[in-house]
Amino acid sequence: MASRALALRGERRAGGRGPRRPWGAIALFIVPTMLYYVIFTVYPLLATFYYSLNNIAAMRGKLFTTFVGLENFRKLLSDPIFLRAVRNTATWGIAGPTLEMLTSTTLALLIYFKVPLHRFFRTAWFLPVLVSGVIVGLVFRWIFTYDWGLLNTVLRAVGLDALALNWLGRMDTPLWVVIFVHWWATFGRSFVLLLAGLTAIPENLIEAAYIDGASTLQAIWGVVLPLLRPTFVTVLMLSFMGKMRAFNVVWVLTKGGPVHASETVATYVQKRAFYWHTLDLGYPSAMAVVWFGVVLVSVALLNRWLQSRIKY
Amino acid sequence: MLPTVLLMRSQSQWAVWARRVGKVLLVAALLVFTAIVILPFLWMLQMSVKTISEVLLDPYGMPEVIQWQNYVRLMVEPRIRYYRYYFNSIFVTVAALLLCTTLSTMAGYGFGRGRYNFRFRGSLFAILLFALMLPPQIMYIPQFAMMSRYGLVNTRWSLVLLYAALGLPMSTYLMATYFSQLPTEMEDAARIDGCSDWRMFWQVMLPLARPAIATVVLLNFLNFWNELLLAVTMVTKPELRTLPAAMMMFVGEYRTQFGLAAAALVTAMLPVLILYLFLSERFTEGMTAGALKG
Repeated sequence: MASRALALRGERRAGGRGPRRPWGAIALFIVPTMLYYVIFTVYPLLATFYYSLNNIAAMRGKLFTTFVGLENFRKLLSDPIFLRAVRNTATWGIAGPTLEMLTSTTLALLIYFKVPLHRFFRTAWFLPVLVSGVIVGLVFRWIFTYDWGLLNTVLRAVGLDALALNWLGRMDTPLWVVIFVHWWATFGRSFVLLLAGLTAIPENLIEAAYIDGASTLQAIWGVVLPLLRPTFVTVLMLSFMGKMRAFNVVWVLTKGGPVHASETVATYVQKRAFYWHTLDLGYPSAMAVVWFGVVLVSVALLNRWLQSRIKY
Repeated sequence: MLPTVLLMRSQSQWAVWARRVGKVLLVAALLVFTAIVILPFLWMLQMSVKTISEVLLDPYGMPEVIQWQNYVRLMVEPRIRYYRYYFNSIFVTVAALLLCTTLSTMAGYGFGRGRYNFRFRGSLFAILLFALMLPPQIMYIPQFAMMSRYGLVNTRWSLVLLYAALGLPMSTYLMATYFSQLPTEMEDAARIDGCSDWRMFWQVMLPLARPAIATVVLLNFLNFWNELLLAVTMVTKPELRTLPAAMMMFVGEYRTQFGLAAAALVTAMLPVLILYLFLSERFTEGMTAGALKG
């Protein structure tokens, strides 16, 4: 009763040292970062929402703002380039993570079960992650060149001339080139994350499965994969979100071309805001807002769908 | 009885043999896969040590003699002078690292140690971590406008400030996690001796946090060194460009200078690759700690 009275007076908290919190120290350590965060992250985030409701012309360091309400959003719905970009990015958001999760999980399992040379493979597969998107885009641009690119040269050398397409010049292939190249550059990250998730699984559970007579495959299916599930879901989310916002590789590989064949929301925002000198920052802001909403909703739905399929 | 025993024995021998062959095939397949993954790197290296004519005539053959002229040209040619971009990248990366590490270590300490807990600390932390969900597109247009208003467009400082902001949430999270797991004995002992909070942080806890700081620095170095979107948006003046932005010239005007381009790419990759070869564990540890909470 007495201690409750003290607590009501707010003077002592359990586990605290001394009667008062060291507010000075708390402020010293936390305030600079939070302030910085508010200025450079929170404010721009809110400003983008504000911009999306306006027509903003940026000239010589000053902004000329005209309120247009939901006009920008209306325009988006009938913008063929935007719709194309949405379709492309959505396709990427489905195909990319599927490819990536399938390969990365298989590779992670192989390394976890210590296939020969596993240390070498681990190091090698992570290398593409370290390289800038510009470098990736440039090298694969050369690889996929029609005339002398590595891929077509090899295809022609083995007699598969018919497959030596103009990968970056046609309308139907560039997006898939982008998806493949981006996979090359990022599968190492998913692989490493999944491997970490695997190593966190208690070994005695797998041993117990073996003792019960399970083969390796049965142990994987029945014990390892279910326990890997939380990590798997996290990595899948990260992969999905990454594809939705990816910029570097596409920009250098195709710049969204030819003629918007591989346009993504990210490249289109860049073009509208900074590349085409269209002098309106409101419209691309609306794009960013819409896409942010789409991704958020997709992630929530994806999460719910995956959680509901738990079959322990 | 005897034939059955013989049959059983040959069956298991066959199984062992099949398993061995299967393993060899698997490793072979993985080697082929890895070769394909590494191929672009090797090809880049090879192209960078060939002369222009060698590149055009035979892009895939080995050069006769290893030519370093591409690297020399990269640095010496008046319209390129690659070392400028190297300097810009180093400047921006180091400055952003200093800023980001300072802020995130202090904040990590404040968010991580039990002594500094208060009612809204958890919520503030969550707000900070919310930024991890944000794509750059939802922030960079007003960020550009901000830089424009304060005359920081086309300066290296715009990148320093924005990169630090980029790395702040993840770095703070990593530091907070690390600090929350440190024992309190040292603190208690020092406090009995009358140690102030700041001295405690600076002289006791910070040295203990070296591994976490190394991880944070490494992760951020990777992200800042390779960043393209902000680099290309905030800085358009050629001589102030960072390496990724500068390399765009090989998509544009210098599109046909393949040997030169290859040399440029190799040079730009070098720091990160060297760091990785020496500190690969730190890299992967940092990435996993950040992404897989608990």
